[in-house]
Amino acid sequence: MRLSRRALIKDGLLVVSAGMVMPAIFSRGVASAKTLAGEGAHFAQAAAERTLIVVQMAGGNDGLNTVVPITDSLYYQMRPTLAIAPGQALPLDGRLGLHPNLTPLKKLWDEGHLAVVEGVGYPNQSLSHFQAMDIWQTLDLNGSGTEGWLGKLVSGWVDQDGHPFKALNIGVQTAQALSSISAPVPTLSNEQSYRIAADPADSDSGNGRLQALMKLYNSYPRTAPYAALLDATALDAQEGVRQLREASAQYHPMVTYPAGPFAAGLKVLAEAIIENLGLRIGYVTLGGFDTHAGQKTTHDALMKTFADGIAAFYNDLALHNKADNVVVMTWSEFGRRVEENGSLGTDHGTAAPMFVLGNPVNRGIFGEPPSLSNLDSAGNLKYTVDFRSVYATVLDRWLGASSKDVLGGSFGAQNFLPQP
Amino acid sequence: MDMHNQPTVPGDDEDITEKRVAVAGRTATLPAQQGAAPSRPGVVTARPRGLSRRQLPGAGALGLAGAGAVAGSGIALAEWMQGGGLNTLIHGPLTSSARIGHLLRRAGFGASPQDIALYTPLGFNGAVDRLLNYQQVSDAEMENRLGALRLDLNKPADQQRWWLLRMAWTQRPLLEKMTLFWHGVLTSSFRKVGGPQSYMRMIVQNQFLRAHAFDTFDNIMLGITSDPAMLFYLDLTRSRKNRPNENYAREMMELFTIGLGHYTQQDVSEGAAALTGWHVVGHSTTSRYVPQDHNNLVKHYLGHSGNLDYKDVVHILVNHPAAPWFICRKLFTFFVYENPSNDDLSPLVDTYVKSNHSMGAVMRTLLLSPQFSSAKAYRSRIKSPAEFVAGAYRALNIQGEGAGLQTMTTMMGQTLFDPPNVAGWPGDKVSAYWLNSGTWMARLNYIDLLLVGSRSRRFFYPPLDLQGIINANHIDSPERFVDYFASFLLDGSLDPDRRQLFIDYFTSQGSSASREQVTLTSGKRYPLGAVRGTLYLLLASPEYQLN
Repeated sequence: MRLSRRALIKDGLLVVSAGMVMPAIFSRGVASAKTLAGEGAHFAQAAAERTLIVVQMAGGNDGLNTVVPITDSLYYQMRPTLAIAPGQALPLDGRLGLHPNLTPLKKLWDEGHLAVVEGVGYPNQSLSHFQAMDIWQTLDLNGSGTEGWLGKLVSGWVDQDGHPFKALNIGVQTAQALSSISAPVPTLSNEQSYRIAADPADSDSGNGRLQALMKLYNSYPRTAPYAALLDATALDAQEGVRQLREASAQYHPMVTYPAGPFAAGLKVLAEAIIENLGLRIGYVTLGGFDTHAGQKTTHDALMKTFADGIAAFYNDLALHNKADNVVVMTWSEFGRRVEENGSLGTDHGTAAPMFVLGNPVNRGIFGEPPSLSNLDSAGNLKYTVDFRSVYATVLDRWLGASSKDVLGGSFGAQNFLPQP
Repeated sequence: MDMHNQPTVPGDDEDITEKRVAVAGRTATLPAQQGAAPSRPGVVTARPRGLSRRQLPGAGALGLAGAGAVAGSGIALAEWMQGGGLNTLIHGPLTSSARIGHLLRRAGFGASPQDIALYTPLGFNGAVDRLLNYQQVSDAEMENRLGALRLDLNKPADQQRWWLLRMAWTQRPLLEKMTLFWHGVLTSSFRKVGGPQSYMRMIVQNQFLRAHAFDTFDNIMLGITSDPAMLFYLDLTRSRKNRPNENYAREMMELFTIGLGHYTQQDVSEGAAALTGWHVVGHSTTSRYVPQDHNNLVKHYLGHSGNLDYKDVVHILVNHPAAPWFICRKLFTFFVYENPSNDDLSPLVDTYVKSNHSMGAVMRTLLLSPQFSSAKAYRSRIKSPAEFVAGAYRALNIQGEGAGLQTMTTMMGQTLFDPPNVAGWPGDKVSAYWLNSGTWMARLNYIDLLLVGSRSRRFFYPPLDLQGIINANHIDSPERFVDYFASFLLDGSLDPDRRQLFIDYFTSQGSSASREQVTLTSGKRYPLGAVRGTLYLLLASPEYQLN
């Protein structure tokens, strides 16, 4: 019953039956899952073993203090207290250096596994966190999109093995980038709590009760509110719990992960990759980058959390011989104002660098450096690279997907990944 | 403008400080009286309309009805049309029990059997009156119970538990719900209010939002602008007259009052200059306005020019034509259904304008609107974690101290006093965001905890006393058992097919071989697992996930 139920979902019976009020993310009603599945055929064919990990740096990461223009005197003029001195930065080339807490990334650079894409943004960048986050995740430049670019990709994949973990979101809420009308993405905040408790009064470990519950969900009238979401969620949970329990029994991390939810999330993603749960897209968020005041302490700590988490993840994969299959990409909704403000912080900005890292990556600095002498009227950087060209590159060159179909247009490519 | 109409001379600043100290002193020891929450003495006397801040708009007459609009899609839609449409859905006016249940879920945290017994005889209008005229209802029992717990409100975990227990125990459910609404809009997080020694600022903010939940939007915006937690959270306290910080200036327009599209980057920077002058005082729970630190240059802000200050900014914003639409859309989405039309909102907007921006008047219009009681609104939102956790606790009359309730909402995706960002919880806007595989399991496991109990010392919950409930309510058959719990958990409106699924589970003893048994008043015995499992299924059902 379970698989046929899943097949039913895939065939579109389960679409958006949400009645009365359809939530925005399910309101593109008319497209059926069948249509999407058809599209999926050309969304993605190859690359069954390949995984993309997306790291969201929420709040607007200060790009200039992450990848520092150590030879630019304007940077030092406009950041009298916040600038990172040339001697402190970890040099990539003569012009750029990494934040001093990014030592593990410097090591990846030295080993040839780190790419930096400079000046990433889009036309008329929004200084609103939320509009900017919507744009980066749904690609609707008005910020009114509903379906995420990764959600569109994932829902297009037809997985005959019934893998609930072809995408996995770490956190308590599914990222908008992963939202789609037909395929809710498994979302968990920590592995220990991803289980369904049983009543000790039941002698069957809760199986009978769970079966009865699943029956309540799959017999819930499809025209009732949220029926599709409820049913698919329950089904994913039930299958996912079983798979994760099995994986967890097998998995032995080869490194010690740092404390904290960011590294713990990366560890779950590593487990899913190492134990072959079919993970294609992993998503994890590190928040707290909105550094309007007293930036240094906060940003230093975040850089360390980020880099140490990534290092543990990468090393764990490498020691399990999985590092060749994984690419990590970071993004943030915007960079920050070039000139620091009066509160030892920085206000909302625009263009910023993205990191792409992993064994498959071409080391280098890509894109064009944005000029600090030619700012927009608010004192922000003018972008030089469209973020969609970065997405297109990972879709076409790594995931074997058609970026044109997923992104709805052609946006060029960056050479941080080789042509397939 | 009244409460912030103090002369801008340095000597007067002390006055404000004093008031804030008084607020902190009161909240630190847990207020004994809900209605006595913070109000600044000098301010009340300055109110032009002679209204005490504690006097709130009452309620009035009523309207109702509304037919269900149902949207389907794709194959599902086609199939549904062929099947004859709305057969399994409520359409037309809600039954009276569904209306009361709906009201208590939306304007509160669901219903216990006692709530149903209390509100049903009042009728819908009378129930709305009681909810809005909350100051006539004593909450002393709740305050006493909370006081006896000796929670440490300097600690975020205890703060969250304190508020969740308020939701579960209050006799003023709409007041707590409205406070929760404001917390999701005019939000701050304990993670950025000045460190552990300043966590109490979150409670001060919470008490401000509770005390002014139905006040004018003007007073609410003035108060939140000078609120210590907010001053820290959005950096206004760090703003300097010659180097204004943009954070609060931007978010108060984008997220609190008028929304994107109604202002420019210039309005952000000019507004930031106008807002300079407010600072928190040391590590205290107080704030003060420092005139010397206010930028006195001419500012050009949303079409107004002059030496504008924070009062002007608030005045301009709450009188901006976009403001009533913005805030009424948020209210409607939170309390009624998502994606309201302009027709849905215009009665609320009219009330906002006619009542001089009284949020109490707007709420009365909202609760009495036909849309509120429509089939379109019924179960049209996924329960939020706070609604789910406090609601089940309340419905089942769980006796205990609420240990760990805050962990439960966190695992479901909502940590009170710690929203994901300045936009509050996405689920408040699009409730489907509350639900995913992980948060769904957290819901199931919470139900399991309430029913089965936990012997952990930190986390002690006795098993729910099902035998006691059965005896007290003379439950003599599986059917009666299902109907009894469905009456307050599911508005007593279970589709016969689905009702049968619960009854079948109760009577199928296959999965439970436990020796423990439960005896119905007919004398017939059933395995504990089957009886408890039936209640679990009611609370874990799709229907119960909806609000």
